[in-house]
Amino acid sequence: MAEGLAREIKSALTGWFYPVHYNLERWAYALQRISGIAVTVYFLAHIVETGNVVGGLSVWSVPSQDFASAIWSATFHFLENPLFDTGLIVIGFMLSYHTINGIRLTLTEFGVLQGKPSRPDFPYEPKSFSRAQRAIFWLSVLFAAATAVYALNVFFGV
Amino acid sequence: MLLHYATGLGIVVAGGVHLFTVFLTGPYVQNLAFSSVMMVYRNILLAVTLELLLVFVDYHALNGLRIILIEFHQGTTWERGVSWVLAVVGILLLVYGTRTILIANALA
Repeated sequence: MAEGLAREIKSALTGWFYPVHYNLERWAYALQRISGIAVTVYFLAHIVETGNVVGGLSVWSVPSQDFASAIWSATFHFLENPLFDTGLIVIGFMLSYHTINGIRLTLTEFGVLQGKPSRPDFPYEPKSFSRAQRAIFWLSVLFAAATAVYALNVFFGV
Repeated sequence: MLLHYATGLGIVVAGGVHLFTVFLTGPYVQNLAFSSVMMVYRNILLAVTLELLLVFVDYHALNGLRIILIEFHQGTTWERGVSWVLAVVGILLLVYGTRTILIANALA
């Protein structure tokens, strides 16, 4: 049981997150997964964090302005440090990549920009990952990098 | 799966508004001061946008996680268990987030 589970975890992790020696589409897939998980983790933290704008977990009726304001200021100052700012830059990169690549996947779902089916010939290039699709993939990487640079400027003034 | 794409596109719009209000309407630290944040929640259109964003991201994130976990291991019990646990987590997050938006709107 435990051995089977360990094997399952290992094959899942290498299959999803180790696209070395595979084509570009596999890299896009791995990065979409990683960025999705990263942004999900951020979302959970963000819901808890923004809950502090009204005073936190224990508040279920309208509190006083002073109480909510004090809790929010404390939260903001706790989060305002280079570690969390660096985390936000990474999240910005992940979110931007996930957005543009997600639009590419939505187009794919509805059959837009797909190559025409044809006889598979050596070297068996995937017809689905057309020139336009590859362009959108690289656009998503570029957009993610631009977001990271913008975030670096916002948080560190670089 | 259609809902996954629909919520994804919804996030692009509602998330765009959210990021715009935080980063592009003035210095970011100033926009996150208590009084500025309250101004966002007071505006009913922006508050509704935040609620929509919450619903979209809640579904999209947890359904994405569900897809990953179902792909990880196949089986009826596993699939049902994962779906139910994530549905409950999603509802709890939705309740807590909605509480924040409603109370902040009343407080502002």
